[in-house]
Amino acid sequence: MAESPLIAIQQVSKRYPGVLALSDITLDILPGELLAIVGENGAGKSTLMKILAGVITDYEGQITLRGNTVRFASTREAENLGISIIHQELNLVEQLSASANIFLGRELRRPSGFLDQQAMDRRAGKLLAELECHIDPSELVRRLRVGDQQLIEIAKALSLETGILIMDEPTSALTESEVARLFRVIQRLRERGVTILYISHKMDEVFRLADRIAVLRDGRLVEVLARRETDARKVTHLMVGRELAETDVSSPRSVGDVVLEVDRLWLSWPRHARGWRLEDISFALRRGEILGIAGLMGAGRTELLECLFGASDEVPSGRIVLDGQEVTFSHPAEAREAGVALVTEDRKRLGLFAEMTVGQNITLCTLEQSLRGGLLSRGLEQQHAEGIVSRLGVKTACVEAPITSLSGGNQQKTIIGRWLLTQPKVLLLDDPTRGVDVGAKAELYRLMDQLCRQGLGIIVTSSELPELLTLCDRILVLCEGRQTGEFSRRDATEQRIMEAATMRRVSASACAV
Amino acid sequence: MVERESNGLARRWARLHSNEFGLLLTILVVVALTALFSSAYRDKPLQNLQEILRQTSLLGVFALGAAIVIISGGIDLSSGSVIAFSGAICASIMLALAPVDEAGNPMTQNLGAGIYTAAIAGTLAVGFLIGTLHAWLITAVGLPPFVATLASLVGLRSLARVFVQEVTASLTTTGKTTQIYIYDENFSKLGTTWWIPLCIFCGLSFLAWLLMSRTVVGRHLYAMGGNEAAARLSGIRTDHLKWLAYCLGAMTASIAGILYTAEVGTSYPQVQGLGYELNAIAAAVVGGCSLQGGVGLISGTMLGVLFLRVVIDSVAKIIKFGSADDYEGIIVGFLVVLAVAFNELRQARSGTGKQFFPGALGIVAIGVLALLSGTLATITVGKQAGMVVFGVLIVLGAASRFRQRVSRQHPPQTG
Repeated sequence: MAESPLIAIQQVSKRYPGVLALSDITLDILPGELLAIVGENGAGKSTLMKILAGVITDYEGQITLRGNTVRFASTREAENLGISIIHQELNLVEQLSASANIFLGRELRRPSGFLDQQAMDRRAGKLLAELECHIDPSELVRRLRVGDQQLIEIAKALSLETGILIMDEPTSALTESEVARLFRVIQRLRERGVTILYISHKMDEVFRLADRIAVLRDGRLVEVLARRETDARKVTHLMVGRELAETDVSSPRSVGDVVLEVDRLWLSWPRHARGWRLEDISFALRRGEILGIAGLMGAGRTELLECLFGASDEVPSGRIVLDGQEVTFSHPAEAREAGVALVTEDRKRLGLFAEMTVGQNITLCTLEQSLRGGLLSRGLEQQHAEGIVSRLGVKTACVEAPITSLSGGNQQKTIIGRWLLTQPKVLLLDDPTRGVDVGAKAELYRLMDQLCRQGLGIIVTSSELPELLTLCDRILVLCEGRQTGEFSRRDATEQRIMEAATMRRVSASACAV
Repeated sequence: MVERESNGLARRWARLHSNEFGLLLTILVVVALTALFSSAYRDKPLQNLQEILRQTSLLGVFALGAAIVIISGGIDLSSGSVIAFSGAICASIMLALAPVDEAGNPMTQNLGAGIYTAAIAGTLAVGFLIGTLHAWLITAVGLPPFVATLASLVGLRSLARVFVQEVTASLTTTGKTTQIYIYDENFSKLGTTWWIPLCIFCGLSFLAWLLMSRTVVGRHLYAMGGNEAAARLSGIRTDHLKWLAYCLGAMTASIAGILYTAEVGTSYPQVQGLGYELNAIAAAVVGGCSLQGGVGLISGTMLGVLFLRVVIDSVAKIIKFGSADDYEGIIVGFLVVLAVAFNELRQARSGTGKQFFPGALGIVAIGVLALLSGTLATITVGKQAGMVVFGVLIVLGAASRFRQRVSRQHPPQTG
């Protein structure tokens, strides 16, 4: 290696109680390169980047930057030395304007000591224009689209004259055109000599952008590959440590009669230019069928499931027929009683009870089944919980263990188990494999297939198309709240679904500009 | 296998109740120290025990309600004023139903069971109405619990004062007064005979334990406190649960209001229950309830109340002069900070080398702590002791800062 490294990571380890998150990582980062860091969830990508950016401050090992040993005590110190990080969950103050966010902590002042708002707006506007982000710098961040918000973070990094930019899965919430814009921005940054560390698990992006690819697995650095000398298959293989097992859920299922019918469903969106979250959605779900719902972020997937579960803020109009009976749910409790179950998208925020045990998380919806003489019976409750644990193969020490001691996949099974106890007719799964590693994903697929064969009607959303293509009998595509496509298993391809998912209305895109 | 399981169960039980064991131990230590330094406990052990238990029970009754509200993820700041308001309602009902003498003034010496029942039932009903108002403001109007109950804290006491004046003006010939006297001896026993409040407290504690630990509703209250959005999406009717929680909070305060009124034979809303809401919240927090919700036990709350009363009593016994009431606030404030800080530190035990006195804030904080302790020592012991305590704390603080600096291998880089 002729060039001397810009950053040398030497034998860095990070230990959490009971877990070795990073083990003995040694990695050189060359000036001006774009190094992609890939790995499964929990492989340690984010941990390593957080150490580099000064977010995590206690670790073993040593980091040298331009030949000097450094140990950041805060992100501020890292920023001062030219390292910025853009987190997957953006780190902006939503109540402040774009320019205020860009200059947060380093506000420009007039000689009198008061804020120089005009100068900040002017400079922010210039920075944003360089990034093809044509917004008013004094606009509040919460009114902006995710893609623009992300560019604000990048503008902030630019204003710091960042030489090293870390991006943690930057495209996960972007539309196609925003992704294209981001890639152009990345290209421009590289021309300016910025070194970029790019975390992703999307092979197409990695192979389009990267010079080198570092593969992490279970906290270890498996290999660093030059892009030209490898291919996606090889990298995927290194990431999971085995060839991706084709989950066998493809054998035909026998589909029964209609269990859920949705007819002309509209959901309003007050105080929003679009006016409707969902427009004129109609479909039917049969017993023993998995219906997939595809769509980009903000297409209305979650909103649709919430409508079916009585959890939407506004009352939808239209007809929902469950098992031959027209229903209107004003509260999830009614949906639950009628036989609809929803496993929410954001497990931590909307699904788990972190203070409770595995068993208590399982039985929460169906405590009536554990009553003896009007009071809760520990024995009955444990029996029900253990039934689910063994039926779904939840890996836990015992049902009394805290739910937080489980891995993401097992937590998800626990929540699915909670709903299976309610004996639903229709199971709604909102992006159930989010934050779940590959091995556990395959298990969840098998579980869904198995439940489906037992006669359950399942609706599943996902942000990963291949997942829907393996799992579903039919796929419904949403775009900006409208139903823009429906494909049977035979007809569905990634290409066709993406076309439908980006089928914007002309007037709508005109409005957006 | 069986042995291992029971062993695990015992360990789980011990872990679950570690907070209670700690409290129990501390209570015993405080009692032993008090007995060592003051002759009061040695001379009249039974009388002291009864007095502590009576005081504990009076506070405990509405601390139970506060704990349930806190576990469910809310906060009830109104209990002190609900106590005063309930006392006024209870006394007013008694006054209205009491037989009248020739001059037209009610005679409250001998009221009889019917009047007691009516007064207590009426007061509890008012408690229910107050709780309902809170729940409506919080769930339907969307006020934060802090604001809704703060409004009652301010408003209800004022309303009670006006109400007492109106009642006395219309029911007696003596005109407007700020207090209502109830001379009935049997009624006053409710608050003064030590075992009656104790029985009420224990009975209510049992019911609260049953509710929180053994019923579906209780489990749902914990779930709502731990994660309200997830609870709603699990089909739990969170609005109904809040209604229940705030009603329990207000009704336990109403019961306490009856007992406090009985204790002194007077409804005097200007001072009755003043500031008690914080004692109840403090007892629940010291007992292990998390203000974030979802965590806490009835048994812990009971011990938290006992602990608070024991420390207040012990300080009163050791200091010997001044009224114990004057010191109550200092003790409660100190204990709350200590208990919560202790819990926080126990949870954040990752050994990140937390700095207690960082930067300029640390320097001023050392000064504040030394000044506070020095002042307290001056008041309770004497001028010299105050100076010594002040000096010692300054030295200790300086030493702590010095150690911080040494332990930091890499001095911060200034950009």
